Amino acid sequence: MSKLRPFCMPKWGIEMTEGTIAEWMVGEGDRVKRGDTLCLIETAKITNEVEAENDCVILRVLAPAGQDVLPVGALLAVFGDDDVPAAEVDAFIAAFVPAEGGVGEAPVASGDKPAKPAAAPAAAPKKIATNRPISPEALALAEREGADLDAIEGSGRGGRITYQDVYQHLRPQAAPVLRGAAELAPEDLRIFASPLARRLAALHGVDLSGLTGTGPRGRISKHDVLAAVPAPASGGAAFVAVANTPRIAPFDKVRGVIAQRLTAAKRDIPHFYLRVAVDVDALLALRKTANLVLGIKASINDYLVLAAGKALARHPDVNVQLHGDAVHHFPHADIAVAVASPKGLVTPIVRQVDRMTLPQLAAATAAQIDKAKAGRLSWEDLDGGTFTISNLGMFGIDDFDAVINPPQGAILAVGRARREAVETADGGIDFATRISLTLSVDHRAIDGAAGAQFLATLKGLIEDPEQLFG
Amino acid sequence: MQLSREQMLQAYRRMKIIREFEERLHIDIATGAIAGFTHLYCGQEAVAVGVCEHLDTDDKIVSTHRGHGHCLAKGCDVDGMMKEIWGSREGLCKGKGGSMHIADVDVGMLGANGIVGAGAPIAVGAALAAKLDGKGKVAITFSGDGACNQGTTFEAMNMAVVTKAPCIFVFENNHYSEHTGFEYAVGTQQDIASRAEAFGMKVWRADGTDFFAVHETMRELLDYVRAGNGPASVEFDTERFFGHFEGDPQRYRGEGELDRIRETRDCLKKFRQSVVSAKLLTDADLDTIDAEVLDQIEAAVVAARAAPRPTPEDVLADVYVAY
Amino acid sequence: MAKMMYRDAVRSTIFEAMERDERVVVLGEDVVGGMGTAGGPEAIGGIWSTSTGFYDAFGPDRVIDTPISESAIVGAAGGLALAGKKPIAELMFADFIGVSLDQIWNQIAKFRYMFGGKSTCPAIIRMAYGGGFNAAAQHSQSVHHFLTAMPGLKVVMPSTPEDVRGLLREALRGDDPVIFLEHKALYGVTGEVPDGDWTIPFGHARLTRAGQDLTLVATGLMVSRCEAAADALAKDGIGCDVIDLRTTSPMDEEAILDSVEVTGRLVVVDEAPQRCSLATDISALAAQKAFASLKAPIEMVCAPHSPVPFALELEQAYLPSAAKIEAAARKVLGYR
Repeated sequence: MSKLRPFCMPKWGIEMTEGTIAEWMVGEGDRVKRGDTLCLIETAKITNEVEAENDCVILRVLAPAGQDVLPVGALLAVFGDDDVPAAEVDAFIAAFVPAEGGVGEAPVASGDKPAKPAAAPAAAPKKIATNRPISPEALALAEREGADLDAIEGSGRGGRITYQDVYQHLRPQAAPVLRGAAELAPEDLRIFASPLARRLAALHGVDLSGLTGTGPRGRISKHDVLAAVPAPASGGAAFVAVANTPRIAPFDKVRGVIAQRLTAAKRDIPHFYLRVAVDVDALLALRKTANLVLGIKASINDYLVLAAGKALARHPDVNVQLHGDAVHHFPHADIAVAVASPKGLVTPIVRQVDRMTLPQLAAATAAQIDKAKAGRLSWEDLDGGTFTISNLGMFGIDDFDAVINPPQGAILAVGRARREAVETADGGIDFATRISLTLSVDHRAIDGAAGAQFLATLKGLIEDPEQLFG
Repeated sequence: MQLSREQMLQAYRRMKIIREFEERLHIDIATGAIAGFTHLYCGQEAVAVGVCEHLDTDDKIVSTHRGHGHCLAKGCDVDGMMKEIWGSREGLCKGKGGSMHIADVDVGMLGANGIVGAGAPIAVGAALAAKLDGKGKVAITFSGDGACNQGTTFEAMNMAVVTKAPCIFVFENNHYSEHTGFEYAVGTQQDIASRAEAFGMKVWRADGTDFFAVHETMRELLDYVRAGNGPASVEFDTERFFGHFEGDPQRYRGEGELDRIRETRDCLKKFRQSVVSAKLLTDADLDTIDAEVLDQIEAAVVAARAAPRPTPEDVLADVYVAY
Repeated sequence: MAKMMYRDAVRSTIFEAMERDERVVVLGEDVVGGMGTAGGPEAIGGIWSTSTGFYDAFGPDRVIDTPISESAIVGAAGGLALAGKKPIAELMFADFIGVSLDQIWNQIAKFRYMFGGKSTCPAIIRMAYGGGFNAAAQHSQSVHHFLTAMPGLKVVMPSTPEDVRGLLREALRGDDPVIFLEHKALYGVTGEVPDGDWTIPFGHARLTRAGQDLTLVATGLMVSRCEAAADALAKDGIGCDVIDLRTTSPMDEEAILDSVEVTGRLVVVDEAPQRCSLATDISALAAQKAFASLKAPIEMVCAPHSPVPFALELEQAYLPSAAKIEAAARKVLGYR
């Protein structure tokens, strides 16, 4: 029986694919007790402590703390019940095959908990049998991504399929953004200037005849023209420019993930937008009373989240996630609330809002916001969700269009409450407090009518807030 | 040496084929039916035939941009040549070469050539191969009064002498290197053959418009070369009935010059006069051949017009044996 | 401003140079034509009619009709230039360069360098190049790519009568050997040529049209084919920069790179086969110095790797055409 245990990159939540060791609390040779903190692991969204599951000795640390991003299942360290010779550890490492597991699977032994069953290994790439000439890298890529070789024309010698051929075949088709023709600057035979220099001179009104060329063979280049672009005239003392040196902040993991996910969302999701203005005078009046009666401090946003949860429950065709070619309809509304945390935008989820009372919702939301601001959100807090609400009213924003948070089908953008003149029933003028709601919808999953009906229901719930306590 | 009736009829037929082939090309080129650069041999038929009648397919010849006569005299297929000049994929060179690059190595014809003077060294190589084979075969390079001024020709002559290659330098002096007079461009006044002499070769000279003079001269010369005496050279004085290329306005010609050479220096007319007056052949014999040849050329044109055209896929065929 | 044919721009520019500078000498096969004939001299004036009237105006010492001896023609131009003259040698067909290649490559191109900079060799070697006439494998070739690869030579490829004048004047004004390549199919092209004493510097490309979506680079006859392709693309709102390089040595790298920075897409057109061609040279330049700007792989529209074929259909299939250029452009624009 091997007394050695692997410690691998854990998988927290279905979306986690990789992580980084932020810090080791233990070193090689240390003896640790069950429950001791071993290390901090940073993932795309959170940083979590990992605790020892058993008393053990840290025999070998393979992944130093730092910037290496490691896939789930990667071997991070080797533990043992006791000291073992280094050679044995080496052999164990050499023979180790990563599987998608969690924290090191303990061997079944007396006194140990039964080990969690290992997750099934990822589906192996489907082998492609072909007689066509294809480079090894291209074949590997085609197998990994399941590309259809019959649809690919080889650009290599003798029709050989190259890596680039497969890569291009797999990329989504995108029409180029055309910018069309440009003004052709006339060429004066007496003036020796590059084509772009002439274009720029025409653009900026620079007289080329006064310039000295610094380009090849004394030719006026674009730099010479740009240097001669007259500075805008200023009154009084001449403005002196100072160095405008940027502070360079490389993406941290969270910012990187935000950038990647939002880029993908904005690029790949066909958004459409539905806008409606909602009167909130009734809600504002009710909130004061209700908060007093219930003894809670529910915000306007809490009411809106509750209203959205109830509206989603009535419109399951909007309460959806899109996965590949399938739409998943959920009976209950798990609503993500966008929160600005020190690490950037996070969207903790309040689960089953439609089944909650207002006090339950207010408490749950407050708890999530506190966790977010403290940077202590877990995967469970962030994973999934069927809908997101983003409220920028507190910043004085009238209205805005939010980007959908995949795999969700829609996101609601809430603006500030503002006073507007409205026509009264008798044709007079009165003032009402209104909020702009903009629903961004993924047209692949939700049609316009469905989105509009949902929004109408939501507007009704907000304008007649008594229903929220039904 | 007296030729047999069959030999004379065959020689006449060959000269006539060249003549009619060229006259017909002249017409079809003028109408635009044939593309490219074409240089007609018309007027020099007695040289090509008088030389090539002595050769079999293992004797090699290397030709010039004015090569149709040499090709036909050496035995290249009339239909295949016509199809080539018309650009068919069934042409002798599959439509790849056209007029200037006709070749058929199977009959010992190592190619017409678009580069003036390029042929002589190639012929030396072919002659060295013949020497290695030891079967008494020869290689012949045809050069005009233009090519005789190329360094390649000088180098080839010297190398042939040094290596004792069975190579024969046939200089066809038609008095024009393209548009320039022979008297201006050739420094050894009035004579090309003396250059070969200077290189150390035995040299013959003859009237290139007289088939029998050409034939007899070549008989002697070939006996000498086949006997292992090394290279030899001959200069034939001849006439070019058309321009340097088809479309050449020939402003360099003298008043009435073209009419005069057609009248007095036509090798076919001279052949007919001499054999008929010597009662070796009759006008009827020759008229029969004339009619047959005209039919043959007409048939060749009809076949060439109807022959399949090349396709874009043919462009990359035959660049290499294997690539 | 005068309208004139490309061939007349060659002739008149040389004629003016011969009037102005008695060191200018012309030599080549049939540059006079008809020497030693009943109808000559001056029967031809160059087989491309680019030296008509020279002999009458300047006589046999400055207009030297030569035998068919390319090596001697080029070598003599080199010697004339070393000895203080300004020779303009004509090779008729660029394909004949093979006969004289040593004199160009090992002699003229290298004199100044080998002699420690103590001499100049201002020889201009003119030749007609290119396909389109069914002139087959030895009378249709492009030679600019391997001459561009020879240090010591300047290589010029005018595409318009105006460029002929400006570039030929520049060649005459300079003291370096220049290969002056005239496309056979351009001799009859007519265009405006401005008056006055102006030149076009070498290494100074011409932008024939401006656009922001695609860069087309070409020389000689291929420029007009790029123009035709750009016209077709413009119908779909696609804007092309069409760059006429004018000279391939020196080459206007800046114009190419500036344009690719704007468009991010490059199609290079070259009449020669692609291997080791001007097209691969320009592609390498862009891949090296404009990598970050490229939005798609570079496309090259070149001849296939074969000699120039004779038959009409084959030569059409061989030469780059406006349709092939347009297809390459659309491929680049459709890159995913």
